[in-house]
Amino acid sequence: MSEHFAFLALGLGNGAVYAALGLALVMTFRSSGVVNFATGAIALYVAYTYGLLRKGELLNPIPGMPTTVDVGGPWGFVPAALLSLLIAALLGVFLYAAVFRIVRNAPPVAKAVVSIGVMLVIQALLAIRVGTTPVSVKPILPNGAVTLLGVRIPEDRLWFAVIVVAMTVILVALFRYTRFGLATRAAAESEKGALVTGLSPDRIALGNWALSTVVAGISGILIAPIVPLVPVSYTLFVIPALAAALVGNFTAMGLTVAAGFAIGMLQSEMTHLQATVDWFPRAGMAELVPLALILVFLVFRGKPLPTRGAIVKSTLGRAPRPQKILLPAIAGVVVAVLALLLTSGSFRGAVIISIILAVVGLSQVVVTGFAGQISLAQLTLAGVGAFSLSRLTVDLGIPFPIAPILAAMVATVIGVIVGLPALRIRGLPVTVVTLALAVFLEFVWFRNTALNGGMGGAPVAKPTLFGIDLSIGSGAGYPRTVFGFLCLFVLVIVALAVVKLRTGRLGAAMLAVRANERAAAASGINVARTKLAAFAIGAFIAGLGGSLMAYQQTVATAESYSTIGGIAMFAMIYIAGVTLVSGGILSGVLGAGGVVFVLMDRLLGFADYYALIGGVLLVLTVIGYPEGIAGQVVVQMQRLRGRFGSGTGSKTEDLDDIGSGATASGAELPTVSADSDTAGKVVLAADGLTVTHGAVTALADFATEVRSGEIVGLIGPNGAGKTTCIDALSGFAKAGGSVALGDKRIDDLPPHRRSRLGLGRTFQDMSLYDDLSVRENVAVGTFAAGGWRRGKESVEWRDSLFRMLGLTALVDRPVGELSQGRKQLVSVARALAGQPQVLLLDEPAAGLATAESRWLGEKLKVVRDAGVTIVIVDHDMDLVLELCDRIVVLDLGRVIANGTPAEIRTNADVVAAYLGATQSKAESGT
Amino acid sequence: MTTTMMNCDGLSAGYVRGRACVRDVGFELRAGEIMAVLGPNGAGKTTLLITLAGLLTPLAGTVELDGVRIKPGSARTASKAGIVLVPDDRALFTGLTVTENLRLARRPGGTTIAEVIDYFPQLGERLDVSAGLLSGGEQQMLAIGRAFMQAPKVLLIDELSMGLAPVIVESLLPVIRRFVDERQVAAVLVEQHVHMALTVADRALVLRHGEVTTTGAAADLAAAPDVLERAYLGHAAGTDSVVY
Repeated sequence: MSEHFAFLALGLGNGAVYAALGLALVMTFRSSGVVNFATGAIALYVAYTYGLLRKGELLNPIPGMPTTVDVGGPWGFVPAALLSLLIAALLGVFLYAAVFRIVRNAPPVAKAVVSIGVMLVIQALLAIRVGTTPVSVKPILPNGAVTLLGVRIPEDRLWFAVIVVAMTVILVALFRYTRFGLATRAAAESEKGALVTGLSPDRIALGNWALSTVVAGISGILIAPIVPLVPVSYTLFVIPALAAALVGNFTAMGLTVAAGFAIGMLQSEMTHLQATVDWFPRAGMAELVPLALILVFLVFRGKPLPTRGAIVKSTLGRAPRPQKILLPAIAGVVVAVLALLLTSGSFRGAVIISIILAVVGLSQVVVTGFAGQISLAQLTLAGVGAFSLSRLTVDLGIPFPIAPILAAMVATVIGVIVGLPALRIRGLPVTVVTLALAVFLEFVWFRNTALNGGMGGAPVAKPTLFGIDLSIGSGAGYPRTVFGFLCLFVLVIVALAVVKLRTGRLGAAMLAVRANERAAAASGINVARTKLAAFAIGAFIAGLGGSLMAYQQTVATAESYSTIGGIAMFAMIYIAGVTLVSGGILSGVLGAGGVVFVLMDRLLGFADYYALIGGVLLVLTVIGYPEGIAGQVVVQMQRLRGRFGSGTGSKTEDLDDIGSGATASGAELPTVSADSDTAGKVVLAADGLTVTHGAVTALADFATEVRSGEIVGLIGPNGAGKTTCIDALSGFAKAGGSVALGDKRIDDLPPHRRSRLGLGRTFQDMSLYDDLSVRENVAVGTFAAGGWRRGKESVEWRDSLFRMLGLTALVDRPVGELSQGRKQLVSVARALAGQPQVLLLDEPAAGLATAESRWLGEKLKVVRDAGVTIVIVDHDMDLVLELCDRIVVLDLGRVIANGTPAEIRTNADVVAAYLGATQSKAESGT
Repeated sequence: MTTTMMNCDGLSAGYVRGRACVRDVGFELRAGEIMAVLGPNGAGKTTLLITLAGLLTPLAGTVELDGVRIKPGSARTASKAGIVLVPDDRALFTGLTVTENLRLARRPGGTTIAEVIDYFPQLGERLDVSAGLLSGGEQQMLAIGRAFMQAPKVLLIDELSMGLAPVIVESLLPVIRRFVDERQVAAVLVEQHVHMALTVADRALVLRHGEVTTTGAAADLAAAPDVLERAYLGHAAGTDSVVY
């Protein structure tokens, strides 16, 4: 038993680092919303600075200049540590002021991608500058051993732990009692509040960044004598630290530190167990700890990261619909064939690698570009394909076309496992999970000598088909053109499949999920299943790419599929354009070992700087061009086309045009439900519907019955609970009480099921998919009618909707280009596309002028006549009073009136709710 | 003779370039004066206030305080100069206690915590409670108190009544009147409870579709309800209404 304790105690050292880095992560997140993946790399930088100072040298990070500056003999611990920490603080200030301040209003995911770029830059910089020269650091802490409860514990670990705990106590006190700490907590809770209180969120963030880099630096200095200074290993310290910070939900410092220590100690014990317990795998068990911890905490708690009350804009970039496929495809193939035929030797090798990397790049396009899930494990999944291929071909002797497909299916299984947590969580935690899984697989499989084929790698049998050798060959003919054609064939198939995916039903669902999970669910899309499908398809493609990589190298080796390599590849794909098929392909051309890489290396000898440049470009891409290089090309092409082409007319049309596009013939709709006997029956009933937010009751005991063919208005002043009521009916707000659609109770069903049963809705903010065309937006709505209807009937229904709402001329325009008023109409059309029985409209007339609003009212009557019952929330009283058969008035979450428009208009309580109580008291009797 | 405190001239504001939600708004505010900004939803009232407070950069126009032009679009400059906003969502630091919320806002020349409690005695019993656990009325008191602490010259109060029962609003408005009178500052009230607002305000400005349609003394507007009712309840109202 005592030996277990001894190993647990040994883990205190690493645990202390994780705890300290976790603290740094919490600080940067709370103050600026950045999940800083570069935290480990910052600790590495400070550790190197310190280590070199002790040798009498000051690290100079700028490439091209001497690596170090002589500081006149070795420095002692105190001055060396102080200068290192000062440099750490300056680094923190620089990173915030020069990089993260610019993206302060970007979504958390974009900020994290920037930090991934920073991580690559620091890591690559140090690898170039000092990575080759080992820097040994003299012990700082006493290295004896103390005996505690019969267990010998190394003294340095104990001291390290004590220092980190003390640091935590000081920081917690700082944040609790000082004005700076108070201001930090305040700004984290409400940026707007900080601004109106005269605090400067920028200065607060700057202070926290300086502090967090110092904390990371301290841990870097203290661990340097214990863990040898190796760029990659320090950089990846961030994974267990992220796990710890996630346990503390990026807010609780104490919990984060405790989790950090727990991870370090468990890792140490796991390393011990994998060496002593027979049935344990021989490697990778330590890497399992953070992964398991994240999964347990995230999946079972499933709480999103706290949001900071800031205005968020911009997204991952638009994913425009590929328009002309045939011509670019043929041109691309011709170029690739020529490149393969006209090159030889290492240049042909580079062309082949580019083709293969393009396949892997397309897997990222599916997962990240379409479905919006930032996976850092795509190269790892390629590795799964490669190592599986070795097993399948060498051990089991499975022949060529079957083996790589089976290998890709193995990758698919792993990919689905990667994707499972995404069902419960969204956003950044998913990214952390993929990263932890990548590290785990790398160590438990790729680097595990029992599984990876040993020093020479895992061999792969040559691909042959009908006796024809398709392999890359060796010797004089290497690399053989026929292998290049094989890879190209696979790429063309995959690229066309991804284009097909983007334009098809599933792709639309993915983009809908990416854009807005709420709106997707309201359109009847099963969000969970869509995400899983993206992970599965992405993993299959990555697995195919990995198989090709293995065929290309004739073995599978761990180095080719490393986690850091995967992150660098992610950077390249993002730079090339992660939302576009062309971007995925371009990422292959730019990728490590690809055409551009080899050309630049030959011409400029810059191979060392590849990762560095990649990191810098990634940061610049996120800041300036979220759609990447390929996205820029598309934009420029459209601009050119607009200038020289026939001209599609002005991009923004005037609001007053609404209605003008609708012809008299469009003033009717085919009926949805023809059975006339349903008329007058109750189609939607709510009883005792109650929604509370903490101590506030947003909706109290709401009850109503809506009859078929009715138009019911729901009105009330701001904050009365109207939208809450719509949310409760459609399943978007957790509510007590019952909701029935027809005869069926639906209150325990998730939103997409309610939508499919015939309860459609729109959103106040419309939640449209700006990247998608009007037609695509509305087509997404048909998911509610039991799936993507390709049938003639569904198309006719949609066409009649477009005609009625005057959208026919605009169907192929991206919604982002439309005016506010037109967007409202598209959002109504999308909800109607699912042919709902009951339609809940949340402020459909917002942004419409009076005449337009009246026009919309006429159209809604047509909708009602087609058999759709309507519940409408709106502030336009003219519209509501004119349109509705019955009006329910809410105030402060309660129904204060219910009656015909005539009754409501003269109801004293209603006038009071709108114009103030004094008036009603004073004049209601007159 | 009272002096002009704030002068707003030709102010246009919006969230998208070329699509202003507030167009060419101008007004003068004197010390000791409360101006109510009225108008239906979507008229641009909140946009006007957050632009004055520097949270949104104006598309055109100027804001002057004591004759000095305020740097546009800088919340910090506006706040330091004395233009203090109480936003419609209160934007309190919900995890911090009442005392902590107030302490962060302390400014030379502003009120002390004791003085805030003098204005809102109910807060005095809740000093160590997290702002998030306060009742809606108490939260509004704290939000206003936090503004008092910052030595405001012009208080901008957005939808004081949002989510509050009328009786609470009726108790809060006189406190603002008292503060404005005692300290000789100015206030702009965006308010849904029109008649309540008009009883406490000196002047009123009615916005519709982002433009000023009516300005005048509060008492005059209160005496002409059809003007307001048409602005709020639309054209249908005012003609058929039998309330008045």
